[in-house]
Amino acid sequence: MSRWRRGGRLVRMAVLGGVLAVTGLMIPDAAVRPTEVSLVKIRHAEGVSLGDDVVWILGVGSDARPGENMVRARGDALQLVGINTRTGAATAIGVPRDAWVSIPGHGREKINAALYFAGPRGMAGAIRNLIGIEPDYVVVTRFPFFEDMIDEIGGITVANPRRFADPNLKREGFRTGRIHLGGYDALAFSRIRKGLAGGDFDRSANQQRTLRGIQARVRSQADRPGFIERGVMSVLAHTSTNASPGELFELAQAIAQVRPDRITTCVVRGRIGYVGAASVVFPDVAQARRWGNAARSDATLRHC
Amino acid sequence: MPSPAPGRTSWSRICLLLVLFLPLAACGAGAKPAQPSPEPPASAEQPVEPVVVPLETATKIRRVYGRLPDVRRKRVRHQIEKVVDKWWEASYVGGTYPRDDFRAAFPGFTSGSEKRAREDKDLLTNQVAGPLIESVTPKHRSVSLDILAVDGHARSVTARFVLRFRTTGAREGITVVRGRLLLTRRNGAWRIFGYDVAKGNRS
Repeated sequence: MSRWRRGGRLVRMAVLGGVLAVTGLMIPDAAVRPTEVSLVKIRHAEGVSLGDDVVWILGVGSDARPGENMVRARGDALQLVGINTRTGAATAIGVPRDAWVSIPGHGREKINAALYFAGPRGMAGAIRNLIGIEPDYVVVTRFPFFEDMIDEIGGITVANPRRFADPNLKREGFRTGRIHLGGYDALAFSRIRKGLAGGDFDRSANQQRTLRGIQARVRSQADRPGFIERGVMSVLAHTSTNASPGELFELAQAIAQVRPDRITTCVVRGRIGYVGAASVVFPDVAQARRWGNAARSDATLRHC
Repeated sequence: MPSPAPGRTSWSRICLLLVLFLPLAACGAGAKPAQPSPEPPASAEQPVEPVVVPLETATKIRRVYGRLPDVRRKRVRHQIEKVVDKWWEASYVGGTYPRDDFRAAFPGFTSGSEKRAREDKDLLTNQVAGPLIESVTPKHRSVSLDILAVDGHARSVTARFVLRFRTTGAREGITVVRGRLLLTRRNGAWRIFGYDVAKGNRS
């Protein structure tokens, strides 16, 4: 064997040894003999089960100001999120905050008032009346925590379909395309309505883009030791929820295993009108119910 | 429990023969070449009974998020180790090989995650290769825990693990299973509700 061929063989052995080490397969105790080593593909499987295949979570962004009770304020961001732990699918149905709906025990009101009048349970009831799905969990958060949470996870990336700005919240605006957002910007991206042609409907769609960004970030970091645990501690400290710590951990793991290509989102449409002097949205209840029925069992919406 | 002949891989058989009949022959990594000896040691004249020491799982707590008293940390460590060990025994290193019965392969799993795990049985058990394996010998078992504690009680555990074992038979080689198990307490016991497992082998 020539020196060059021997050299080539050494290189091949070194490369193979490196591959084995990287993939966690140990080199045999006594010697490395490449002719006796065959590397079989490392296969991988993951799964989470929370009992039912589909779990529904109502996310509420409270507009409570400092000193106000977060669950007795208006619920301005409303997203009903379904996660299918079996398929990795997830869906979000957004509801405009001015939707004029029936609130259990309180007659007809803007849906954002349901939190003020009846707390998280009342908000869950209003969503059930509109979409036909009773959420399993309600998570209420407020602006400062949302900002901190986004910063703590290292920011998010969203796909912004059009440039928009707001003189108060984001004077320079958000450019079109994939943009990285820190805590403040993610909050502004989710709150701005004035610069959007579709007003409240477009804002709800932006909130869904933010949720996609959060999910992608959680998914990419979930196997980092302590990432989920720290997230759960943070949620426990800054939100109001009917989920136990163990359930939050399970939900976070379920969120991490959602497949981005299986996320679908829709915003409940409606007609803008007035009740007295108040501008409201008369939601298309039939459409909302259709979506609820379509997504109930598999957390998937084929089309909006 | 390991199968009866797990330590008797072809390599260790050769070593055993050498120990018995060639007293100064070396078998391990880094062993020096055999040197001639004027007198054979006493062991050459007496039969040597091989001692198989079961390989125990090394479990450590990597970090506790929240407060958890030491006594409870220790208890959680033991409880989780037991859950993981039961799964390993039932799925990989226990039973009598050749083996084709893996019906009880998922003790400690929730019913939902057991259903999922059965769909991934080629990774989460030895079921596919079981009938072709003659023996399984564990070579490495380690678990590292991240514990979430609230109000002084453990609420969830992420158990990162590595299991390495040698198989003999038509599927001879080393298999490594590593990944994460996700556990919460249900009905007073720790249950595996999720997993993230990779499996690889070489012959």
